[in-house]
Amino acid sequence: MNYYCIENLIPQRAPIQMVDQLLEVEGRTAVTTFEIRSGNYFADEEGFMTEPGLIENIAQSASALAGYLSREAGEKETPVGYIGEIKNFHCYRCPHIGEKVQTSITLGEEVGGITLVNGEVHASGELLATTRMKIFISQNR
Amino acid sequence: MLLEDKYYKVTDGKTDGPNGIFRIQLLPDSDVYRGHFPGNPVCPGVCNIEMIKECTARLTGKKLFISSIKQCRLTAIASPSVCPELDIRINAQPSDEGFSVSAKISDAEKVYMEYKGEMRVL
Repeated sequence: MNYYCIENLIPQRAPIQMVDQLLEVEGRTAVTTFEIRSGNYFADEEGFMTEPGLIENIAQSASALAGYLSREAGEKETPVGYIGEIKNFHCYRCPHIGEKVQTSITLGEEVGGITLVNGEVHASGELLATTRMKIFISQNR
Repeated sequence: MLLEDKYYKVTDGKTDGPNGIFRIQLLPDSDVYRGHFPGNPVCPGVCNIEMIKECTARLTGKKLFISSIKQCRLTAIASPSVCPELDIRINAQPSDEGFSVSAKISDAEKVYMEYKGEMRVL
């Protein structure tokens, strides 16, 4: 696979950028990594990144793969993705500051601008959260 | 509360048993819009989910964890200029692990989010 800096794959920036790197791509599946750093937008006073941070991490992982596929297809602009629906989200544990999460995602077919996403977040081999999602990906803002 | 007075402000609230209606104001100067998206401020859907969790904590008086979301539909794009004030309606029914929560975020014009899921008491 080709490597792109994450800023070329997703439009989100600090303080709500919730993916560090697109690590692996195979067809319409991918793995991203993200380290929970101090000052994380969704970190609570006990140092855990709360559930909305995990959902955003999955959404941005999907967005990173969509961005990768669009770059590879020759597009110059980064597509913008919006969450349309979250379904069957389960959270088992929230990661803490200093922990690195790996997120695997699979994109379904795109129908009428809507793409189905399956995502799972792991840390040190442990499943933290899983969800299905519908995202709208638009090439123009 | 993680996002209260950082992303939104509660300006009014009425509760009646398992039901609550909270009027909130989105803070247009919130830091989050620097990154979502540069030059195009749009509410991150997940921040609105956190708002539902925090209003449910207010309603129930408990610290909560979102253990599952059965379905959450984001039916319109929200932003501080489109919808500076929003109503968050919550119904929280006691369940085995905490509360079964149904919620809706809307203003006079539109519904922005419909939410159903389980929250565990921490």
